[in-house]
Amino acid sequence: MSRRRAFGAMAASIAAVGCGAVDPPRVPGGNAERGRATIERLECGACHVIPGVRGVRSHVGPPLDHFRQRAYLAGRFANTPEVLVRWLVDPPRMKPDTAMPAVGLTETEARDIAAYLYGLE
Amino acid sequence: MARDDDARRREQGKFHALLVATGAIGLVIVGALVGGVVLLSGTVSTAATKQHFLLTHRLLDAGLHFSVRESADDIEAPPLDDPALVGRGLACYDQHCAQCHGAPGVAPGAAALGMLPIPTSLAHSAREWRAEWLYYVTRKGVRMTGMPAWEYRLSDTDLWATVAFLKVLPTLSPADYAARSAGATACGQRETLPSSATEAVGPTLLRQYACHSCHVIEGVVGPETYAGPPLRDWARRAYIAGVLPNTRENLERWIRDPQQVSPGTLMPDLDVPAEHARAMARYLFSHAPPVDAPKGPT
Repeated sequence: MSRRRAFGAMAASIAAVGCGAVDPPRVPGGNAERGRATIERLECGACHVIPGVRGVRSHVGPPLDHFRQRAYLAGRFANTPEVLVRWLVDPPRMKPDTAMPAVGLTETEARDIAAYLYGLE
Repeated sequence: MARDDDARRREQGKFHALLVATGAIGLVIVGALVGGVVLLSGTVSTAATKQHFLLTHRLLDAGLHFSVRESADDIEAPPLDDPALVGRGLACYDQHCAQCHGAPGVAPGAAALGMLPIPTSLAHSAREWRAEWLYYVTRKGVRMTGMPAWEYRLSDTDLWATVAFLKVLPTLSPADYAARSAGATACGQRETLPSSATEAVGPTLLRQYACHSCHVIEGVVGPETYAGPPLRDWARRAYIAGVLPNTRENLERWIRDPQQVSPGTLMPDLDVPAEHARAMARYLFSHAPPVDAPKGPT
């Protein structure tokens, strides 16, 4: 780990002393472990950097670190489980000009992915 | 023998020095531990309703004076008696300063009431402080108070105009102020960068436009907030806001008018002049090599 990352991690853990006050949102029917496998299988890393996910990672889309803490999705929508699941299933339906495509996720796959993402504190 | 005495005295001297050094280091370590315990216990109050100890207040106040005096040492005020300049300063005062500092016969606004430290009455400060000090504080702000820096929002002329008005302020009755401010034109807005701006103005601008109130930005110290996405490795990103190809020009366009680029976006319009947007975009792009650049050792 580079020194800068080490300092960052230390600072983050000091900051986190005050956090942990909020529980991650529940995604009914979502399994985080299955979600991670789905992310790897569908290669979401082809556009996003996602912590804890093996394989390709790129900067086409925004990085998804600290996802639980993100206030908004796609800069437009509140970051809540139901909104996130809807977004994952069909992004252009919610934001017609978005560069993120609908990849044909099932509702279950979307819930699993959401559950995984909300585990990224 | 004399030589033995000398040797013994030197030994004792060394031993004493070692003792003092160990004592000093020990004190520092104990102090740091006590400080750590106090910090983590959360017993130090941050409530703005709880006033400082008098000594604390005096020390902070004195510290401010000493610091401003030193920092403003090489500033020379231009002539400040031109009525047009004073009039221009009144417009700026009314628009930007009165909301916290009040004015003759005008109470400070809601944001200032209950603030700690309280924004001082400038009728007092204008009489007691030199023009150069008033200019410095107005331009640079005072950290850890409610006083912002105006350097990137007001031109140098408007900053001095405000100071010129401050010098007149203590002579105005409530009726005077009311009459003059009724007819005041609007205060200008800075369109360019201050002449003192260096290559490193990017992070300063990002902070002055409060970008770091929503975004974690590489090279900017600020809250670890995720209201907006983190702005790191920016040059590697393919899209801005998921809708616009990521180029310098497009980034400037986004910064200056987010709603036009992505209607319904949570990112607000901060009224950023072109030159400021350009400097911020340049900084963000300078922070990671683009995808096809050769990778060096990390």
